[in-house]
Amino acid sequence: MVAPDFFSFLGLPRKLNIDHADLERRYRALSRQFHPDYFYNAPPAERRASLERSSYLNDAYRTLRNKMARIEYLLKLEAVPVAIGSSAVAPSSDSRAEAELLEAVFALNEELDEIRGERASGVPDHEWRARLERARAPIERKRARHEAAFEELSARWDALVDGGAGESERRQLLTKLRDRFLERKYIDNLVAGIERELAQ
Amino acid sequence: MAYSSKVIDHYENPRNVGSLPKDDPNVGTGLVGAPECGDVMKLQVRVNPATGVIDEAKFKTFGCGSAIASSSLATEWLKGRTVEEALAIKNLDIVNELSLPPVKIHCSVLAEDAIRAAIADYRKKRSAV
Repeated sequence: MVAPDFFSFLGLPRKLNIDHADLERRYRALSRQFHPDYFYNAPPAERRASLERSSYLNDAYRTLRNKMARIEYLLKLEAVPVAIGSSAVAPSSDSRAEAELLEAVFALNEELDEIRGERASGVPDHEWRARLERARAPIERKRARHEAAFEELSARWDALVDGGAGESERRQLLTKLRDRFLERKYIDNLVAGIERELAQ
Repeated sequence: MAYSSKVIDHYENPRNVGSLPKDDPNVGTGLVGAPECGDVMKLQVRVNPATGVIDEAKFKTFGCGSAIASSSLATEWLKGRTVEEALAIKNLDIVNELSLPPVKIHCSVLAEDAIRAAIADYRKKRSAV
């Protein structure tokens, strides 16, 4: 199957800001075109190909409609991997900022631990819940700042795509995106942890 | 995925959990993270300045069982070693000892990085004295 990547498969430029209504329209049009039902009487090879295209289309749509998945996919496509590892692939451009984030994440994890301890030892609900809400505020602020950083970097990336920028400029921006992306994983994990506790 | 009995043992009875005073000139602190899974690991060593031998090691890890076991094992191995010997600990030693499956190898890498970071911090402090 000829499908260089999700973006081109859907006829889109490799940009991060996506018009969702447009994406939806493209997805629906291609879905109809590749639908296995239309290939019911086709030779086996064509039937199989239509099935493959349909499943590729679904992957493409699911990936591109979600912002974080879109960024992760673009990084992979542009060979700026978000590989499993540790400090070796950790944010590279600003190690001081990374150390600060790690410290904040660590401190918040400790706080969560203590709150779990309070709950286990019978501290009244409203007390540990209030503490949990207080712990949540700074991390939510960080997440909001990250959101803004993604907006800004995405707009810059899209401008580079439009302007046909040089390789080094592209790399630089992609590396920044990758660093923010990795930091965001810590933040999301923490927020998920807090939400799990609050749901208790 | 099944954890090996050694991982479970370290997970249920982690050795050397806790912390050492960060500002002690003989204490080195390493704080590392694996962004993809969100794990964070703090590992500290205290070095006897007269002998260069690590006489205390502590850790605190927020992460999966393999990450906790890897750092717990690392602190066990660190005690009684010189700083040089500590740097010889490789993540593969941890993988072998704990029988970590391939998807958990990055946990052992994290522990090795934490050891290196802790020792680098200790050396930085000593050279500043």
